[in-house]
Amino acid sequence: MSAAETTATTATGGLAVEGVYTAYDKADVLEDVTLEAQPGKITCLLGSNGSGKTTLIRSVLGLTRPNRGRIRFDGVDLTGLPTHRIVAAGIACIPEGRQVFPKLTVEENLRLGAYQEPNPDVVARRLEKVYGTFPRLKERQAQIAGTLSGGEQAMVSIGRGLMSAPKLLIVDEPSLGLAPILVKENFNIIRRINGDGITVFLVEQNVRQTLAIADYGYVLRKGRVVAAGTPGELGRTQEVHAAYFGQGR
Amino acid sequence: MDVGLLGQYVMNGLMLGMMYALVAVGFTLFFGVMDIINFAHGDVLTVGAFAALATILGLAGIGVDSPWIQLAGATLVAVTTMAALGAVIARTLVLPLKGAPPLNTLLITLMLGTALHEGVRLFYPQGANPQRFPSLLPTDAYSFGHFTLRIDSLLVLTTGLLLIVGIHLLINRTKLGLAIRAVAQDEDTAKTMGINYTLIVLATFAIGSGLAAFAGVLHGLYYSEVNFAMGLLLGVIGFSAAIVGGLGNIYGAILGGFLFSALQTIGVLAMPFASAYKDVFAFAVVILIMAWRPTGLISEKISQRV
Ligand SMILES: Nc1ncnc2c1ncn2[C@@H]1O[C@H](COP(=O)(O)OP(=O)(O)OP(=O)(O)O)[C@@H](O)[C@H]1O
Ligand SMILES: [Mg+2]
Repeated sequence: MSAAETTATTATGGLAVEGVYTAYDKADVLEDVTLEAQPGKITCLLGSNGSGKTTLIRSVLGLTRPNRGRIRFDGVDLTGLPTHRIVAAGIACIPEGRQVFPKLTVEENLRLGAYQEPNPDVVARRLEKVYGTFPRLKERQAQIAGTLSGGEQAMVSIGRGLMSAPKLLIVDEPSLGLAPILVKENFNIIRRINGDGITVFLVEQNVRQTLAIADYGYVLRKGRVVAAGTPGELGRTQEVHAAYFGQGR
Repeated sequence: MDVGLLGQYVMNGLMLGMMYALVAVGFTLFFGVMDIINFAHGDVLTVGAFAALATILGLAGIGVDSPWIQLAGATLVAVTTMAALGAVIARTLVLPLKGAPPLNTLLITLMLGTALHEGVRLFYPQGANPQRFPSLLPTDAYSFGHFTLRIDSLLVLTTGLLLIVGIHLLINRTKLGLAIRAVAQDEDTAKTMGINYTLIVLATFAIGSGLAAFAGVLHGLYYSEVNFAMGLLLGVIGFSAAIVGGLGNIYGAILGGFLFSALQTIGVLAMPFASAYKDVFAFAVVILIMAWRPTGLISEKISQRV
């Protein structure tokens, strides 16, 4: 995450989802989803409520196993691996609803983000970097995370996602429930993270602001990819409007 | 009442409370990470105590006479084998039944517990009868009026209390403890942090079961006797202690353990003519506390769910 750690000559962190089908118990959700997050880029996934965006993320992370299809990361097949091995490959996630551990302190939450990093000095350095980005968290490092405000919890969740110095950061609706000013700040942070060389896969409902920072995007509808393209192309497609303002999911 | 006699009661109450707390911590850890009740837990304690006894007799049989070595060997064998058994229970019964109704896990662990103590009864030589547990600790005693302070009791109590402090430090000060707490709070997010979920569940069961074995050894040392049914009442009391303290919270479990022994002691003191009723009294009070605070004194998981 620090410049020294990520200034690779060739960008890494490319994710490829190939023909993925995922279901919960009986409900089929994803059908034949194929998409790609190019290394070093911001790729966004748009889609209305219930279209399967979070399910796709859960499939990538191995939290819900796909029934069919492949998931590759920098060419390595991750399909069917347990989540901790997928994380070890260099993927981190800022989950929907932030999901801070409510009874742990801010610092414990952040340290969990670097759970697989064995070197305490490296963890300490990353912690300082996160506190540099979010000075508010430093003031509150010993506070129980469940008592933080929504905005502060969002900072914890973002900081925690960065603590593993991932190659790919998956972000699921970071601006949900935040005030407009914080939403704007969130998008700036995501742009900065990407500027540090981290590939970003961003799920969002704020179509306009998302397309403003993304390099490429996909639209999911009823578990299928119905459109793909550059922000300029997507902005003009009917699918984006249909997905958000049209006939529901 | 005589001060010395009171001292004796307090000592005995602390001793029992320590053992109940050690058992209760296991129940609460298992519930924390897996949301299940492991009804074989008390019987794991029994098997641990018998494993210790067999080790002591075995060491004596091959000519190892030092009581300290016998004790160290017995404790080591009991704790490691029961920790391994706990991990095996988690791997083969609890994890595979994860998606099943909780009642199924409850029933399976109940059956396993029965198999364990029946196994001891049938396969341990003379297993149906109580077995003498050798007094391996120094038995020097100091009398203060009616209060006799025995060194062995003091050592047992101190060891148990240190174990409780140790488990507190493990849970709160180590990376493993942090991972256990993370898994207990939010399984999926814990996995997303890169925590090996299966490993943490196995480790938690190993720790809880190892603690039960240790409690079994301490119980044997204190009462100089073990029997195949010792884990039944200890299991029920440990479980009640965990619940009344607030299932899922280790301080609740510790509090519950000492509360239960305090109630038993009060029961004895208040009804000296009918001290056999002390358990009836203690359980009755626990039931009343549960009616007053259904989620336990320090409620953990349930309040979080609402
Ligand atoms: N654990 C689950 N069990 C059963 N069905 C689920 C589960 N999680 C999600 N679903 C269903 O799968 C479908 C897709 O849900 P998903 O959460 O992936 O949508 P989403 O695109 O992330 O929506 P949102 O924008 O509201 O977050 C929905 O119909 C939802 O009800
Ligand atoms: Mg979602």
